[in-house]
Amino acid sequence: MGVKSIENTDRLYWLGRYSERVYTTLKLFGMSYDTMLEEGAGDYDAFCRSLDIPNIYTSSEDFLRSYPFCEEDTNSIASNLKRAYDNAIELREEIGSETLAYIQLACYGMQSARVSKAPMIEFQKVIDNILAFWGIVDDWIEDENTRNIIKIGKRVERIDLYGRLHAGYESMRREICRLTGRIDRCNIHYRKDVLDRLNKLIQEKPLNYPEIVKEIEQILEV
Amino acid sequence: MKNIDLLKRTDTVNELLARYGVKFGIYKNHTFKEQLFPFDAIPRIIQKDEFAYLERGLKQRVKALNLFLTDIYNEKQILKDQIIPEEFIYASSGYLIQCENIHPPKDVFSHISGIDLVLGKDGNWYILEDNLRVPSGASYPMIARELCRRSSPQTFHDYPIEDNRNYAQILKHALDYVNTGGLSVVLTPGRYNAAYFEHSYLAECMKVPLVSNTDLVVENDHLYFVDYSGKKEQVGAVYRRISDEYLDPMNFNKESVIGIPHIFDIFRKGNVALLNAPGNGIADDKGIYYFVPRMIRYYLGEEPILSNAPTYLPFYEDDRNYVLENFDKLVLKDVAEAGGYGVVFGNTMTKKQKEDFIALLKREPRRFIAQEVIDFCDIDILEGNELVPRKADLRAFVVSAEEPVVWKSGLTRFSRNPDSFIVNSSQGGGFKDTWVLSR
Repeated sequence: MGVKSIENTDRLYWLGRYSERVYTTLKLFGMSYDTMLEEGAGDYDAFCRSLDIPNIYTSSEDFLRSYPFCEEDTNSIASNLKRAYDNAIELREEIGSETLAYIQLACYGMQSARVSKAPMIEFQKVIDNILAFWGIVDDWIEDENTRNIIKIGKRVERIDLYGRLHAGYESMRREICRLTGRIDRCNIHYRKDVLDRLNKLIQEKPLNYPEIVKEIEQILEV
Repeated sequence: MKNIDLLKRTDTVNELLARYGVKFGIYKNHTFKEQLFPFDAIPRIIQKDEFAYLERGLKQRVKALNLFLTDIYNEKQILKDQIIPEEFIYASSGYLIQCENIHPPKDVFSHISGIDLVLGKDGNWYILEDNLRVPSGASYPMIARELCRRSSPQTFHDYPIEDNRNYAQILKHALDYVNTGGLSVVLTPGRYNAAYFEHSYLAECMKVPLVSNTDLVVENDHLYFVDYSGKKEQVGAVYRRISDEYLDPMNFNKESVIGIPHIFDIFRKGNVALLNAPGNGIADDKGIYYFVPRMIRYYLGEEPILSNAPTYLPFYEDDRNYVLENFDKLVLKDVAEAGGYGVVFGNTMTKKQKEDFIALLKREPRRFIAQEVIDFCDIDILEGNELVPRKADLRAFVVSAEEPVVWKSGLTRFSRNPDSFIVNSSQGGGFKDTWVLSR
């Protein structure tokens, strides 16, 4: 279409971020879910600490019900998916109905999971639809700028999460390299000094995770 | 009908409609909710000859309405010739004094007209309403057709049905026709508008930007789209889905936070086209509806092809007496309301309600019209595996550029309540596709 408003640029970026946040936290939750099945087992407090979210849960059971589904909890997976949807729904003419459909389908997957006795099966549909969404972003959206803004949002979020989760050196290095290669391919305003510092930080061993998180949070001037 | 392959695919079509988020917004208890618009796969079928008749009648009506709008905001010949009493114009909330002496680009006021009709059991089509402000609904049969064709290709192989997926092209042509130079855009009040799906879907299909007021600015007597880098691009046509009242806080409602300051001023200067033009509310006022057949005779010198539902204006003493004598068999409509609101059936009121209503009618006769209840045809819908009859209307879309074009389809809305005549989506109604046969 050629022209893009400030609002839509912002929405594309946050669509990338929230879709990534849902994807990574859902995968992480899936790993924790199994260890918490037995009564009293599992360390949901450690889960909250690793993501830097407040532990507002009273028990493992409460955590297993509320963290994925509670829409009033702004840190829940459902809240993040809703934010992805809230951005996507205002981008139909920009990303296309075919692309938007996968976010919509992920929302339906979340609704099914909420009433399911085996939510992990339904969560797999949410993950599948987010993966399909990223696939169709590449395949369907003609405007390179639009594609790149979504992907930059996704990369920024992933670096942020990986930093909090203390991901391995190779994973972190790969994500920062991907962001560096992408960020100049669209007209988004970013802080070059921050990107340079991130590229320096990735040379250090052991990685300074708190510093990486601090830097990535200020990379964009939005 | 029951054997049509498409009907076996109803669930598939509804699943696809859900996939693509074909919804409408509704406020209930002060909370916004998005709801799927229930689709029934049994189409309304209009034969080729019958559609040709409707097409002639609708074009005639929209031509007359456009001429009326030009006249009423300029020469006012129809008032001078006493075809319509002045008080019906100046007392109407749809009449905008700001539009006096205005000529929109190419003199088209109503680019998109949504005309509501019903098919009476006597076999005649009746016009129920003219919607010339921001009529909505075309996107639903448009996308439903796409998904029906995917779900049951055999049906569309077997039956000669006019393709209705060209609505966006027809609409885009209307935008291009009046465009004064620059981009064409769709202006939405935002995602919490009931018809937001339609705004975004039509923008997508026309490949034009969907914008809100914050994306547009008036400078140097022109309208500009401001992109994320601050670059400004001129806009020549705005398909606006915001009502007149909120369009421009400098000229209409000062409280509006969704409008664009001074957009009306540059429209008046001919520097941007607004679709539909401001001021159209005077022509789709439920009181003015009564006079449309007279307009057709006056402006076109022709007899109206399509009939109005028999209508009475309590404003006139004779009509008021008729309404009071026949209250129980009439439907009464508040001219200021829309969307199925403000409609009451005389025979459903309690004694007290009736007394109160009649007192109000006498106090504010201009506020209401009364109509004979048209016994209109039912159309079958699928409930489970059963076919059950329900009331249904048709919203036909007439898009005006060089000439009015009647879209070969339309939105058929039906009541899901067996005892109700109200078909509006906001009142729980569903929708059907409308097939116009090509032979």
